Amino acid sequence: MIRIIALVSLLFFRIDSNAQYPGYTLLNHSETFKKSFARATAATESIQSNFSQEKTLTMLSEKMYSTGKFWYRQKDKLRMEYIQPYFYLMILNAGKIFINDGQKENKISANSNKVFQQVNRILIDCVSGKMLENPDFESRVFDSQNAFLVELKPLAKNLSKLYKNINIVIDKNDYTATAIEMFELSGDRTIIRFQNKELNALIPDSIFNIP
Amino acid sequence: MQKIQSDRTCVEKFKPDFHHAEYKTSVEVIGKHLSGILLIKYMPDSSTRIVFTNETGFSFFDFAFYGDTGFSVYHIVSQMNKPALIKTLRKDFELIMFRNMDRSKSYNLADSGYIYHAYPQIKGVNYYITDDQCRQLVKMQRSSNKKPIMEASIYKSSPGNPPDSIYIRHLNFNFSISLKKITPFAAQ
Repeated sequence: MIRIIALVSLLFFRIDSNAQYPGYTLLNHSETFKKSFARATAATESIQSNFSQEKTLTMLSEKMYSTGKFWYRQKDKLRMEYIQPYFYLMILNAGKIFINDGQKENKISANSNKVFQQVNRILIDCVSGKMLENPDFESRVFDSQNAFLVELKPLAKNLSKLYKNINIVIDKNDYTATAIEMFELSGDRTIIRFQNKELNALIPDSIFNIP
Repeated sequence: MQKIQSDRTCVEKFKPDFHHAEYKTSVEVIGKHLSGILLIKYMPDSSTRIVFTNETGFSFFDFAFYGDTGFSVYHIVSQMNKPALIKTLRKDFELIMFRNMDRSKSYNLADSGYIYHAYPQIKGVNYYITDDQCRQLVKMQRSSNKKPIMEASIYKSSPGNPPDSIYIRHLNFNFSISLKKITPFAAQ
C-alpha cells in the first residue's frame, strides 16, 4: 500500500513539476547555469535583433501584436524601437532612460521609483541579464532540451502588485534571451520574442544617444 | 439657447462602430503625460470592452459596458484605482459610444446655427451638437447642470468603421485624451 501511495505521489510530483512549463524540468542546483550565464553575458559585447511582441488579453480572447528592433551593448546601453503598428522608443544609457512615444519625449532618472517607469525598467533588465542579480526577485531555473527558463517572482511589494512572474527563455547555444514572458495578476500576459540575433556586431554610439 | 422641435433621433446615425479598434493613446492629466494603446472591442455577449495598456504590453485597466447603462471594472492598476477617475473615464467613454441615450427624455436646442441634441443623465446632460440640418456631427459635450465640463470630437467616422481619431478635452481641469487609430496586424 505504502509503495502504491509512494508511486502515485511520485507520479503527481512529476506531473506537477512539468505542468507549469511543458518540456522543462526544475534545476535543483542552478549555480552551474548562473556561472555559465554570467560568463556568456560577459563575453557578449553587443546584441542586435528584431523582436515581436504578443500581448494576450485572456478574458477578451484577444491578441495584440507589435514588432520592432532591438540593440544592446555592454554594460548599460540598450535601445528598443517599436516600429509596427505604432512607434515607441526606449533608450537606456548609463542609468538614464529616454522614452519617445511619438507624441512626447521623456527622460527618466534610474533612481526614479515610479511604477510605470519601473515596468519599462524591468524589460530592460531582463534583456541585459541583470534580473538574476536583482534582490527584488526570487528566481528558479528550469531546463529543457534547447533552452533554459528563468522564472522570476517579484518580492518587492510594488512589483508583486503588477506581475505574478516574469520568465526569461535563454538559448542554450549562446545564453542570450530568446523570449521574455510577463504574466500579470489579471491573467494577461505579454511575450517578447527576439529574432535574427546578431552577436558582437559593431553598434555605433549614436544608436544609444539620448537627445 | 432655445428649445426647438426637430428630429430627435437623427443624431443616432453618427454613432461610431467600434466593433474592433486599436488606438495609439496619449493622455495629459494635470501636467503629467501617459501613453499607450486603447483597445475597444464588441464582445459576443453584446458588451463592449475598453482595455488600456502601455506600449510594452502592461495593462492599466479593463472596463466593460453592457446593457443600457451597465458598467464593470474588470481590472485596474492600483495607481489608477480612484473612484473619481473611473467615474470620469466611464462618462467620457459613454459619451463617445453614444450610450445612455434615452429618447423619451431627449430634447433639442438651437444656438448660433447649431442643434444641441440633449440627453439628460442622472447628473447633467450629454449633448451631441450638429449643424442645423443634422448633416454633420460637430462635437459632443458633457455638461453639468450649470456649464459644459467636457468636449469630445470624432474624426473620419464612417458607417461600419471606427473613427480614425478621437479627442477628449475636459474644461474644468487639465485632462485630455487623444486617440489615433492604428492598424493591427496578425502574428508574424
